[in-house]
Amino acid sequence: MMGSSKPDILWSPHHADRYVICDSELSLYRIGAVGTSEAKAGALLLSEETAATLLAINSDTPYMKCVAWYPKHEPECLLAVGQANGRVVLTSLGQSHNSKCKELVGKEFVPKHARQCNTLAWNPVDSNWLAAGLDKHRADFSVLIWDISSKYSPEAVPAEKLRLSGDADSGMVVTKPLYELGQNDACLSLCWLPRDHQKLLLAGMHRNLAIFDLRNTSQKTFVNTKAIQGVTVDPYFQDRVASFFEGQVAIWDLRRFEKPVFTLTEQPKPLTKVAWCPTRMGLLATLTRDSNVIRLYDMQHAPTPIGDETEPTIIERGVQPCSENVISSFAWHPSTQNRMVVVSPNRAMSDFTVFERISLAWSSTTSLMWACGRHLYECTEESTGGGAAEKDIATKMRERAQSRYGHDTVQLWRNHLLAGGTDPQLRSLWYTLHYILHRLSQYTEDLEQRQQGSKQSLIYSGIKNIIKSSSGTTESRRCWKGSDRPTDVAQYHSEERSLALQLCGWISCGPDVDVEPFLKSLEQEGEWERAASVALFNLDIRRAIQILNKGASAEKGDLNLNVVAMALSGYTDEKTSLWREMCSSLRLQLKKPYLCVMFAFLTSEPGSYDAVLYESRVAVRDRVAFACMFLNDNQLPRYIDKLTNEMKEVGNLEGILLTGLTKDGVDLMESYVDRTGDVQTASFCMLRGSTPEVVKDPRVQCWIENYRNLLDAWRFWHKRAEFDIHRSKLDPSSKPLAQVFVSCNFCGKSISFSCSAMPHQGRGFSQYGVSGSPTKSKVTSCPGCRKPLPRCALCLMNMGTPVSACTGTGKSDEKVDLPRDKKLAQFNNWFTWCHNCRHGGHAGHMLSWFRDHSECPVSACTCKCMQLDTTGNLQPSDNV
Amino acid sequence: MELHILEHSLKVASIAKEGIQICTHGLIKLAFLPSKTRCKFFSLTETPEDYTIIVDEDGFKELPQSEYLSVADATWLALNVVSGGGSAASSQPIGVTKIAKSVIAPLADHNISVFMLSTYQTDFILVRERDLPMVMHTLSSEFTLLRVVNGETVAANCSGVTNGFVKPKLVPRPIIHPLSSPSNMFCVTSLDPDTLPSVATLLMDVMFYSGKEMGAQNEDSGHIRFFSFSLIEGYISLVMDEQTTRRFPNNVLFTSASGELWKMVRIGGQPLGFDECGIVAQISEPLATADIPAYYISTFKFDHALVSTSLSMFGE
Repeated sequence: MMGSSKPDILWSPHHADRYVICDSELSLYRIGAVGTSEAKAGALLLSEETAATLLAINSDTPYMKCVAWYPKHEPECLLAVGQANGRVVLTSLGQSHNSKCKELVGKEFVPKHARQCNTLAWNPVDSNWLAAGLDKHRADFSVLIWDISSKYSPEAVPAEKLRLSGDADSGMVVTKPLYELGQNDACLSLCWLPRDHQKLLLAGMHRNLAIFDLRNTSQKTFVNTKAIQGVTVDPYFQDRVASFFEGQVAIWDLRRFEKPVFTLTEQPKPLTKVAWCPTRMGLLATLTRDSNVIRLYDMQHAPTPIGDETEPTIIERGVQPCSENVISSFAWHPSTQNRMVVVSPNRAMSDFTVFERISLAWSSTTSLMWACGRHLYECTEESTGGGAAEKDIATKMRERAQSRYGHDTVQLWRNHLLAGGTDPQLRSLWYTLHYILHRLSQYTEDLEQRQQGSKQSLIYSGIKNIIKSSSGTTESRRCWKGSDRPTDVAQYHSEERSLALQLCGWISCGPDVDVEPFLKSLEQEGEWERAASVALFNLDIRRAIQILNKGASAEKGDLNLNVVAMALSGYTDEKTSLWREMCSSLRLQLKKPYLCVMFAFLTSEPGSYDAVLYESRVAVRDRVAFACMFLNDNQLPRYIDKLTNEMKEVGNLEGILLTGLTKDGVDLMESYVDRTGDVQTASFCMLRGSTPEVVKDPRVQCWIENYRNLLDAWRFWHKRAEFDIHRSKLDPSSKPLAQVFVSCNFCGKSISFSCSAMPHQGRGFSQYGVSGSPTKSKVTSCPGCRKPLPRCALCLMNMGTPVSACTGTGKSDEKVDLPRDKKLAQFNNWFTWCHNCRHGGHAGHMLSWFRDHSECPVSACTCKCMQLDTTGNLQPSDNV
Repeated sequence: MELHILEHSLKVASIAKEGIQICTHGLIKLAFLPSKTRCKFFSLTETPEDYTIIVDEDGFKELPQSEYLSVADATWLALNVVSGGGSAASSQPIGVTKIAKSVIAPLADHNISVFMLSTYQTDFILVRERDLPMVMHTLSSEFTLLRVVNGETVAANCSGVTNGFVKPKLVPRPIIHPLSSPSNMFCVTSLDPDTLPSVATLLMDVMFYSGKEMGAQNEDSGHIRFFSFSLIEGYISLVMDEQTTRRFPNNVLFTSASGELWKMVRIGGQPLGFDECGIVAQISEPLATADIPAYYISTFKFDHALVSTSLSMFGE
C-alpha cells in the first residue's frame, strides 16, 4: 500500500554528507567520494565522483505522510514523521546510544480527531515547537503546535478520553497541543517565518494563505489564493515566499501580501516540489509530476514590490540530472553550492551540481569581467608598452582622445602624430586631408583669377573623379636630367594630372611643378629609398644617386645604399645589355620595396609598369602619382578604378586619396570601421566631408553618435563637449537647439526669448549671466515685466548677478587672470536648479553646497537634489 | 463568519433497493475511482428504504436512467459555513448545533427548504438553486457571502434581490413529525484516501450486500440498517454503526481520540418530501439550545440526526 508512494529526500540540516530517503520507510545514507575507504562495496554510485552508503533503515512508522528533520545539532538524527491518521511520531535513525535522543524517540502527538497530517515544520528558534498541518475536521483545528518536551500529564486530559487504540506506553503520548489554529479548514502546507519565530504562515483549503502570530492568535493576515501548496521562505530574502497550485508558482512578498509579486510561467503538469536553493540567492527549483527536468528560476534581479511595477526579470533554466529517468523528488545540499541529490521513483539516486550561469560584462574601458557562482574574474589589457599584441582599439581611441587627436584643425597632418604617429594608414589619411584643405585654400585665394566653383568640389571628390574629368592630356618625352638623350619613356601632363600630383604631395601648388621641395622633406625624414625613387620617376638619376649616397653616409645609414647607387649609375637603355638582364632578375631579391620599384621602372618596357603599380608595399600615393605621370588616358582610369575598389574592399585609409570624402569614401570608411572599430577616426574624417549628404549619411551619423557615447561612457565629458564644438563648427546643422528656456515667474515670458525677439533693446542672453562676460551682466530683472529674477538660494542675489569672489573657495580672485579659471568662473555664474524641488542658484554655489550637504540649501526643503541626479555624483575622468 | 456557496450543481436521487445492481458500476466508479470521473461531490447513504445519492452533474452522468432511479426535481447548491476565526474556545459546539441558529432557523423562517449532509469534515446545507437569491438575502446580514467560481472564491453580490420577498413568519416551531431511535450506535469517521483501495472490497460489501444477510436479525433487535459514504473534494467521510466498524482492520478508520459514539434519531413516519421546510430547524434548534453536539443527514425519504450518546435524550 505505502509502496506506491514516491520517495522523497531530505538532507540532514547539519551533516553535509547525510540524507534520508523516505517512502514506506526511512533510509539514511552517507555520501562520500568514490574510492575512499568509507565507500565500500555496497555503495551506490551517485555520480562520477560520489557514492552513497546505506547506514540505517527505520520502518517503525507506517502510513508516513510527511517528515521533518530536527533543526538543531543535538540530538543529531531526530525526525518527526506525520502519519495518515494525523499522529506525529518522533523517530531516529542509527542513533541507538544517544541518550538525549532516547527520551524523545517514540513520542507520539495525537490530535483529537484523526485525519491526515499534511505537513510538519520545526520552529527554527524554539526547536521544541513542532507545527503539524492536518486535513480538516468539522470540529477540530487543522494546525496543532506541539511542544516535544512536554510530558504526558494525566490532569490535562480526562481519563475517560484516553481510549487510544494500542498505546500501551501512554507516557509517550501527548494529546494536548501548545497551540491550536485554523478551525474548520485544512492545512496543506505551513512554514515558520524566520524573521519572527512566533509567526507562522499557513496555507489552507479555503484557498487562503494566512499569517498567524502565536502571541495573539485571534488576529491574522490573510489573502485568498489558489496557490496554497508548498509554502516556503526564501532563506536569503526572508520576506519572500513561494507557494504553488497545480502548475503555477506564486512568489509573495510578506510586506505586501495582497497579491503575488509575480507568478512563474505555468507548467503543463502539476508541481510536486518547490525549493529555494540554500546556497545561492534567489534561485528556486521546481519539479512537476512525471518529469525528468528540474526547472530553475533565477530571480536575483527580480523586482521587489516596493519599487516600480516593472516586468520581472527571471531567468528560467531546465536541468536534467539523470537523463531520461523520471525524477520523484530532489533536495538541495545544505552547504555545497548548487548541489542537489535527486531520486527517481525506483529509488535510483544521483548527485548533481547545477552549473552556474556565467555572466559577462565589458567595461567602457577595455577590462572584461565575468562571474560564475561566487567567483569574479577580471581580465584587463596588459599595459606594458611595446608588447607583442597590438593594443585594443578602445584603448587606442581613449589614448588618442586624451591627446586631442582630431582637434588640430590648422595642420591636419599633425593629427597622425597625435594618434601616436605609428599607423601608416592614419598618416596617409591625415596627409591626404591636409593636402585637400591646403589646395582648397589656395583655390579660394585665387578665386578671382579663375572660375573655380567646380574645382572646389572636385578636390573633395578624390583622384578617381579628378582623373575622370581629365581632358587635354599632352604627351611628352623628356630627357633624363643632365643628359641630352631623350628617353623612350612617355610622360603625360594635364591640369587634372598635376592636381592629382599635388594631392599626392609630390608637387606643391602653383605653376611650378618642381618636385625638389618634396624630395627635401623626404630626405629630412630619412626616407632615402622613397626620395630616390621619386627622383628617379622624375627622370633624375643623378639626384637619385645623390640621395642614396646621402642616405648611406647619414647617421645609422645603410651602406648598402651606396651599392644600390652604384648599380643605378650603370643604367643603360640598351635592351639587351647585361645590366638590364641582371637588374630585372636580381631586383626581386631586394628587400626594400622602393629600391625594388626603381629597378622595375628602369627595366620595364615603356607603357607597362605593372611591377611598379602593383607593388603593394609602396605607398598608394606614390603609386598613384607614378600612374598619373606615366599611364595614358586609357590606362590611368582603369588602374585608378581597380586600385580604388581594392582599397574599398580592405578598408585601407590610403584609399581616401582616391575616393575623396564622397559616398565612395564613406563606403571605404565603412569597411575600415568594420575592420577596426575605429569610429573616432571615421567621425573626425567624415566631419570634413564636402557635401552635406556625406555628413548626413546615416553611417556617418552613427559613427559620430557612437563616438560621443563612447566619450560619455569613459566620462570624458569635457572631451565630448570639445568634440561637439568641433562638430558644430564643421557641420552647423548639428548644433543642438536650445533645450531649456527660462521664463519669468511673473509674466511667464521667456527671458531669453524676449531678448532675441526684441533686438532693439540690445540685450543678449549673455547679460543674464547665462553666458558671456560676467563682469558686464547686471540685468537682474525680467525684460518683459521688469520684475526681479529668481534669487540664488545661497547668496540671495538675483539671477544675473555674478558670483561674488568671496564665496566658494575664495581662490578665484587670485587666479582670475588664468584663462582656465576664467572659464570656470563663467560656469559658476550659470544658474542651475533642481527639477524636483525647483530650488536653485548659481552653479558654483550649488556645487560647493552639495559637496558637504545632501539636502537642498533652502531651509525646510528636504529634497535630496544631488542624489536625484544620477550623474551628479560622477566625476569626469578627463581633465579640463 | 463566512458562508461559502460552492460550485457544485447537485442532484438528489433515490435508488430503490431492488434496483441497486443496475447502478453498482457507476457507484463504484464514483466512490473508488475518483480519477476516472470529473465528479467532485458524491454521497451515498443506505437506509432501510432505499439508497440516497447526492452527486454533482458530472457524477450524475455515470448513473444509468432506470425505473429504480427517482430524481428530485431541483438542482441543489451546497452551502458551507467557515468560522474563519483562528482559535476559539475549545468547547465549541459541534456540527449542526453551531449553524442551527445562524443558518437553519433563518432559512426555515423564510420558508426555504433545506437538505442537510453532515460529514466527518464539515456540514453541507443544500438549498435549491432557485432559492439562492432568497438564501443570500436571508443570510447576508449574518455572514460574509463568498461564492466559488471556477475554483476561485469571490465575494457574492446579493444586491437587487431585496424587493418582493415575504416577511418571515416568526412562529414557534414544534416538532411535528414522529421520531424514532434505533438501538444501534453510530460512528462518524474517515480514512486516508491512499488506504481506500485496501478496504474497497470491504466497503463494497458493506454498501451493497450486507443489508440482506443481516436484515431480519437487525430489525428484531431494534437495529437499523444505515450506512453513509461520501467523497467530497477528495475527502472521505463514513457513517456506520458500531458493529460495521469492527469489520475494518485496525488503524484504517480515523477514530477520534475520545472514541465517541452517536445515537440516531430518525425523523418522519411518512416520507417527508422536499417541499416542507423547517424540519431540520425543529430538531436542531432545541439541540442547539441545549448545546448538544449533533450530525444531521437528510435522505430521500427521511431525516436522520446523530446526537452524542451521553446527551441523547431530549424533550419530545
